[in-house]
Amino acid sequence: MASLVSVPMGSFGFNVPSGIVIGISLVIGLLMVIVFGYTSDQKAIRAAKDHLKAHLLALRLFQDQIHVVLRSYGRIVMATGHYLRLAFKPLLFVIVPMTFLIVQLDRYLGSEPFSTDRAFLVQARVDNSDALNHTSLQLPDGLTTTAPPVHVPAENEVAWRVVAAREGDYLINVQVEDQQFAKRVTVGSGLPRLSSVRLRGRFWERIFRSAEPALPENRFVEAIDVQYPSRVIVFLGFEWNWIWLFFVLSLAAGFLFKSILGIEI
Amino acid sequence: MTLHARGSFADRRRLTTYLAFLVLILLSPIPGHAYAGPGAGFAVLSSFWTLFVAFLYSVYAFFVWPFRQLFRVLRRRKAYGKARIKRAVILGFDGMDPELTERFIGEGRLPNLEKLRARGTFRKLRTTYPAISPVAWSTFITGVNPGKHNIYDFLARDLGNYLPYLSSAEIKGPKRSWKIGKYTIPLGGPRIKGMRRGIPFWHWLGEAGIFCSVIRVPVTFPPEKFSGVLLSGMCVPDLKGSQGTFCFCTTRASGEGFREGGVRVPIERAGSRYVSYIPGPEDPLAGGSGEELRVDFEICPDPGKNQARFTVDSETFTLAVGGYSEWIAVKFKAGVGFSAHGICRFYLKEISPEVEVYITPVNIDPGRPDLPISHPVTYSIYLAKLFGPYATLGLAEDTWALNERVLDDEAFLAQCYGNHEDRERMLFDALEKTQQGLCACVFDTTDRVQHMFWRYLEDDHPAARGVPREQRPTVIQDLYARMDELIGRVMKQIDEQTLLMIVSDHGFKSFARCVNLNAWLHQNGYLALKPGKTESGDWFDDVDWSRTRAYTMGLNGLYVNLKGREREGVVEPGAEAESLKKELCCKLDGLVDPASERVGITGVFDCDAVYAGPYVDNAPDLIVGYGDGFRASWDSVMGKVTNQIFEDNLKAWSGDHCIDPRLVPGVLFCNYKISDEKPAIVDVAPTVLKLFGLALPGHLDGKPWTVGISTDRPVKLSPAP
Repeated sequence: MASLVSVPMGSFGFNVPSGIVIGISLVIGLLMVIVFGYTSDQKAIRAAKDHLKAHLLALRLFQDQIHVVLRSYGRIVMATGHYLRLAFKPLLFVIVPMTFLIVQLDRYLGSEPFSTDRAFLVQARVDNSDALNHTSLQLPDGLTTTAPPVHVPAENEVAWRVVAAREGDYLINVQVEDQQFAKRVTVGSGLPRLSSVRLRGRFWERIFRSAEPALPENRFVEAIDVQYPSRVIVFLGFEWNWIWLFFVLSLAAGFLFKSILGIEI
Repeated sequence: MTLHARGSFADRRRLTTYLAFLVLILLSPIPGHAYAGPGAGFAVLSSFWTLFVAFLYSVYAFFVWPFRQLFRVLRRRKAYGKARIKRAVILGFDGMDPELTERFIGEGRLPNLEKLRARGTFRKLRTTYPAISPVAWSTFITGVNPGKHNIYDFLARDLGNYLPYLSSAEIKGPKRSWKIGKYTIPLGGPRIKGMRRGIPFWHWLGEAGIFCSVIRVPVTFPPEKFSGVLLSGMCVPDLKGSQGTFCFCTTRASGEGFREGGVRVPIERAGSRYVSYIPGPEDPLAGGSGEELRVDFEICPDPGKNQARFTVDSETFTLAVGGYSEWIAVKFKAGVGFSAHGICRFYLKEISPEVEVYITPVNIDPGRPDLPISHPVTYSIYLAKLFGPYATLGLAEDTWALNERVLDDEAFLAQCYGNHEDRERMLFDALEKTQQGLCACVFDTTDRVQHMFWRYLEDDHPAARGVPREQRPTVIQDLYARMDELIGRVMKQIDEQTLLMIVSDHGFKSFARCVNLNAWLHQNGYLALKPGKTESGDWFDDVDWSRTRAYTMGLNGLYVNLKGREREGVVEPGAEAESLKKELCCKLDGLVDPASERVGITGVFDCDAVYAGPYVDNAPDLIVGYGDGFRASWDSVMGKVTNQIFEDNLKAWSGDHCIDPRLVPGVLFCNYKISDEKPAIVDVAPTVLKLFGLALPGHLDGKPWTVGISTDRPVKLSPAP
């Protein structure tokens, strides 16, 4: 999945995140509407929506009949539940691929790489407090620490403040006793695939949060974490997190395509 | 373990894994994962939006309600202050006949009506002159005689050209348009003018703060504003603007067109498929050239399964031979921004060796009405959203298609009862919504079915000759039983403070013999044809008006060709006209049919004697009352002069009521005791107003009945099992 996504990303070049989000939103909007059309009971959804509208109209038409107003409200609640139940079936079909897609997209669009002039933290969590005193950070050429490490025994964590002298893809190593644990760090610009954390075990958390191989089992280090800054996408004069922009644009695309394709949502 | 069992186990395991994964995803802490595409997004967003709006509106209505009530009191619109009833439920059964009703009660077919008769009231209800639905229901609505409401027939005549027009409403194009080359861009919507005068009694109720739900009462198009909801009934046009034009699509090359009520459209073969079209309204951009809009459709027959697949616009459906489709939405596109929305039903008649399809008249889409068919406009939309599309055409049951044998008995009945069931749903919704006030609903099925199936009630009806007695269906008996069952269900919904009234506008009699009154006028020297002609065409084609003193068109009206009124009038107003009217009355009253030796006309009524009001000048000069078994001939209604005065009626339309009004009173059932012995339909409005404690407007002609004379409480009735 990761490689599938990385190909088009690479071909888009850099500094066009809003264009990419727009393109993806349109395509996803179209695909999801088609999937929704095929996997849902269109007739039942149409009827459910019509009932909802009817009960809403009843509120207006019979506004002086307080018993009708209250009963209509109850029916609106019931009809909404029914409508959501009908929309749940297509949700079952799309939620897994959509989740994977969003996870992968998030690795490109959710954060941006570190810049050369700003320090960032590297945090390592070990599995016992004794190891904390034997933990050090091995940095490649181009990265330097700007302060002594900070130990947090209560959390079994140690943190380093690091700064990059130039752009590049770096491999940093956390050394505990005689063993080294690597973590990729990217400094620069554009839309590289970023992974803020490398984890040991915790399969599902790795699926959703990490883009690197698991740390070796039964060794000292549980996690190595760097917090990339969140990416801000400027669109229509507003600053957006990509997921919100995707949400809005794919809804708009869905609205457009559902009308064109005659699919009831 | 069998392969199937292993498969099931594997499937279950896969499903379990999938569901577990799904739950995990749903519980995942990353917010983006909660979004699963625009489908789910729309569902969630619109649901929340709906609930939010509904909640806001409910709160608003709840808090505003006391102030609205207070406002009413301050405006002296205190509803129910002097009312003797909390609610009036009026069920109109068009054409329910008192004699048949008594007969069927006697046979034990109508237990609920029997109960009403025994413990409440049953009377014959005097109808209007003439006994035609739009006339009688207009009187029901307004409580006045036709001279005050201006409806005398379905049709009225244009004094300038002797051509007919619809008496109840006038629909014209937009006032202004913009001509660009060969195109005409209409600037504005169509202009609709109601021709019925008088004020509906629910207007007065609304003024007093009494809510009214009025469903399909005839002659309520265009709908008028009042405090309540109303769905228009009889006289609502189809999308073509006619009173119902069906479409018969066929691959058969030969075949005449239909004289009235329908059009024949060819079906063309295109490989294994067939293509045809639905004719629609006139193209508004064509500048009155008469060019009509069309919607194409495709038929793929499957003779092996005796069915065919239809594709209409983006909709695809399959019909078995002898089956109806649901209501199908059709959109007639004239150009960008100009389209007309209609609905119609398809009926597959035949797929082999030829392909034949019947399509109902294209009704105005109630969910997207291009013309106002309800008050408020949203009421028709509300009903369409709640129950799905429904017939909106005034005369929704296609009697012409059965007359022309495009539909058979069974298909026609299926259409009638389909519409009837929709109406029942609307009624019960209105009953639920109108716990206080007026709920009035008119059912047309009784009228249409009696018109078309009376032939089976009689042994010697010309339209059913050759059908053995044992093979004659009991359609009318079943119809009355079905209405009785409906009344029983309504009785379950009413309490002791509810008035239940069942009324019909007229009764029914046989229509076995046709009377061409124009032929009689011609043969007796009152109507002249152009030299060399022995018959005229429709609408007086070839009539020599300079020598014509009287003519008839429509169902019961007879007109003097009056100088100064008609364009080519020859009869001087005053003494000459009066003398002519008297002469015609004398000669026509008691006119005998030589073949059957029965009286064909039992009364001719001078309009000056039966009408009073500001619109009497628009009335026919004489109203002809045909005898039992007779009616104006099909030709005579259409202004055609033939050679024969009397002839057999061979059409399925075999029962009628457009005869001497004294012979076809309606019915009145009530759960109250009513003391009046000769109630009339004109009395309904003042009676309801009085029961709600309202002062009667002075112009009403009806007199309120003495209701509840033996008890001040209505009789509590439980429906028959």
